[in-house]
Amino acid sequence: MRIRKRLVWTASGAALAVPVSGALASGWNMPVGVTDLSRDIHGLHMAIFWICVVIGIVVFGAFFYSLFRYRRSRGARPSHFREHTTVEVIWTIVPLLILVAIAIPATATLKAMYDTSEADMEVLITGQQWRWRYEYRGEDVAFLSNLATPREQIAGQGKKGEHYLREVDEPLVLPVGRKVRLLLTSDDVIHSWWVPELGVKQDAMPGFVNENWVRINEPGTYRGQCAELCGRDHGFMPVVVEAVAPERFDGWLAERRAAAAEAAMGLDRDWAMDELMERGEQVYGTICVSCHQPDGRGNPPVFPALAGNQTLMDDRARHIETVINGVAGSAMPAFRNTLNPVEIAAVITYERNAWGNETGDRVQPSAIAERIAE
Amino acid sequence: MWRVIASVLAAFFGVQKESRRQEDFSRGGAGPFIVAGVLLAIVLVALIALVATLAAG
Repeated sequence: MRIRKRLVWTASGAALAVPVSGALASGWNMPVGVTDLSRDIHGLHMAIFWICVVIGIVVFGAFFYSLFRYRRSRGARPSHFREHTTVEVIWTIVPLLILVAIAIPATATLKAMYDTSEADMEVLITGQQWRWRYEYRGEDVAFLSNLATPREQIAGQGKKGEHYLREVDEPLVLPVGRKVRLLLTSDDVIHSWWVPELGVKQDAMPGFVNENWVRINEPGTYRGQCAELCGRDHGFMPVVVEAVAPERFDGWLAERRAAAAEAAMGLDRDWAMDELMERGEQVYGTICVSCHQPDGRGNPPVFPALAGNQTLMDDRARHIETVINGVAGSAMPAFRNTLNPVEIAAVITYERNAWGNETGDRVQPSAIAERIAE
Repeated sequence: MWRVIASVLAAFFGVQKESRRQEDFSRGGAGPFIVAGVLLAIVLVALIALVATLAAG
């Protein structure tokens, strides 16, 4: 009898331990992460998890023991009492104490999360349908971060890569060891910038600026996703953060600043058809393609066709206006702050000459810059 | 007076003796309990606000 009892306990212990340790090792659990805060969050998560496990064992243990030990076939008779103040007080006080014990470290962690003061640098993160825009505040460096997974893989025509739907053309580059304040907002609907390894999940809302911060301890590539359902391509706007040594970051930032200055210079000169078409195809392929489709046929009536669109071909001014300022009340966003004049000029030129739209028009970056400045 | 406060606090806590409940229901109206309940609720909110301020400070 005693051996049998011990066997039952050992078996039930093993039955519990195997799935738990398996789940912890499988990657289904929250990651420990690479910041002090993400470690604190993970520690809290595990501590509360084990408290719940112990409560579960005690409560269900007592429950099943009573069911078994005091079953009717062994002649057990229920007692009929209406109240027992002492027991009621105990089962109210004990959870209260447990909750307070959890609340104290949880509050300390929350306070640390909200303390965005004394940051070394600031990045403005803007969510857009369906990509992220990163702006290094005070550095004249800003860029879009688009999904880099090839369309063939998404359409099931190619083998899926290792980082399928979790790869971008331009990752957010951040220095290790510096405190970075993150400012989050949105151009259209509510998005949420989520990188589990950094312990950051913050909503990006139109008309609001939310704050968070991060200080990364280890160099590496950290991937995340938009965590707030934001429309059709919600699953196609991943986040990739590249954490590098501070010296490397400074070098990278200087390079980007120089590149931005160079791009601005492109405004002075006359661009040839070939250059505009090449650049335009590239911009179209990352920005416009998700709505207007690779063949320019769109998805009417929500996303109009550009290929063979007579209004577009006849009314060049309206075409330019539409790309710069968007169309109020429709799904077409304004690109005046999202794309630079070179990109806007190139993509309009491309749309006016691709898929059989042979207008022969060239739109110059300088003209777009003037139009935006008006 | 003390009995009313004790009963309201017991209600906040969620546990009351049956004998006390019987007594409370056999004496007078609900007025004193309502007044004590509203006042003590204000005290409770102020207390929680104080704790929250101290924790955040």
